[in-house]
Amino acid sequence: MEPRQRRAGSDEGRLGSVAPHDGHAGDESLAGLLQRVARGDRAAFERVYEQVAGPVFGLVLRVLRDRAQSEEVAQEVLVDVWRSAARYQSSRGTAMGWVMTIAHRRAVDRVRSAQAAVDREDRLARLEVHRPFDEVAESVETRLERERIRRCLDRLTELQRESVTSAYYDGYSYREVAELLQVPLATVKSRMRDGLIRMRDCLGVET
Amino acid sequence: MSTVSDPEPHTLAGVYALDALDDDLERRRFEDHLSRCADCAEEVRGLTETAARLGRAATVSPPPGLRDRVMAEIGQVRQSPPGVAPDRAARAAGRSRWWPRLATGFAAVGVAAALAMGALTLRAQERVAEIETVNREIAAVLAAPDARTVTGTAEQGVSGTVVVSRAQRRMVFASSGLAALPPERTYQLWQIRPGRIRSAGLVRPDDRGQVPPVVVGMVGGGQVGVTVEPAGGSEQPTTEPLLLLKLPGAS
Repeated sequence: MEPRQRRAGSDEGRLGSVAPHDGHAGDESLAGLLQRVARGDRAAFERVYEQVAGPVFGLVLRVLRDRAQSEEVAQEVLVDVWRSAARYQSSRGTAMGWVMTIAHRRAVDRVRSAQAAVDREDRLARLEVHRPFDEVAESVETRLERERIRRCLDRLTELQRESVTSAYYDGYSYREVAELLQVPLATVKSRMRDGLIRMRDCLGVET
Repeated sequence: MSTVSDPEPHTLAGVYALDALDDDLERRRFEDHLSRCADCAEEVRGLTETAARLGRAATVSPPPGLRDRVMAEIGQVRQSPPGVAPDRAARAAGRSRWWPRLATGFAAVGVAAALAMGALTLRAQERVAEIETVNREIAAVLAAPDARTVTGTAEQGVSGTVVVSRAQRRMVFASSGLAALPPERTYQLWQIRPGRIRSAGLVRPDDRGQVPPVVVGMVGGGQVGVTVEPAGGSEQPTTEPLLLLKLPGAS
């Protein structure tokens, strides 16, 4: 594995050494639970639900900004986790990363569907959503993670941060982001990559 | 489309990890590139994992009924065998499966009717919660490290102030000196960028012409304007702005 990914011994720039990934609630990892889910184990799925439902719903809500639609999409995502559990391969990333990728793609699919895109412009301007950063009931782990993300985001340049967050949290395509920020397409491409690389190193994400 | 002969396809790694490619074709083309570039695939793995961490930071408590609906639905869903294509097929299937949700919707209507009696008190509670949320949001923008303030005055003693946090993609707007309007008219707030004007909501001054601070979403720069519109607001401005404030630009 290349050193640039491993970052062995180079802790400079990392915030906090705790990197919660699969959140071992109880004694079994999310990855282990997914293996059982793949064999049709409903009890294991309930435990998966406990770990991922909040992150899935929160992310979908963040992108869609509409509770009713977000409930629908979150339900699709969670059912998809049940359906496709056998396709998760631990060699290709963490279980939580896999689940969140499914959630994000579904949310983005929904937000980009024709009507939703029109509505979203409005929703962005309205305030029917409780911003994730303001949610009251949050676990200590969630709060720490949020704090870590925020501090790492603060280390990006403004253009990197806006490129990354407009795409990820608002579901804009990179062409739309280029238009919104009024910068060339090539700039957005590289800011997204550079921004994520900086985030990866700051968070100490290992692959 | 500029990607057909992109000289450096790997520069799309970040775009791909953020699901920000424009369409499935572009996505497939990049995935094809990944299958031939081990380094790129490795980088994409790390960036996708990083994006997922951003996702986790958005965690909120799931709605109470979700668990039961999910558990009920999985009882009727056949699980996929292991395979290479992750969720693609399921997504395609999911799009056409709107009818079971319709049934759920009808059930929900029944529940709503049953709950109607308790709804009034519930609404009052929600209103209080909403106000608290808005206050928190205003405070968050004002306290943001990147908060920048713009103030401007216009004719007839109208003035406005905007505090912008680009990091939070929000702004707080407040104004004074706005005349009272007849009921069939309203003030409307706009974010105006070249070629793109977006409503930022309706604002209503109190008896003294003051608009208490409101917080609205914003993306990018441009200007903020206030116009008079028919009650209920317009899709696009129909009158000249009474007030225009230039938003601080991206650095």
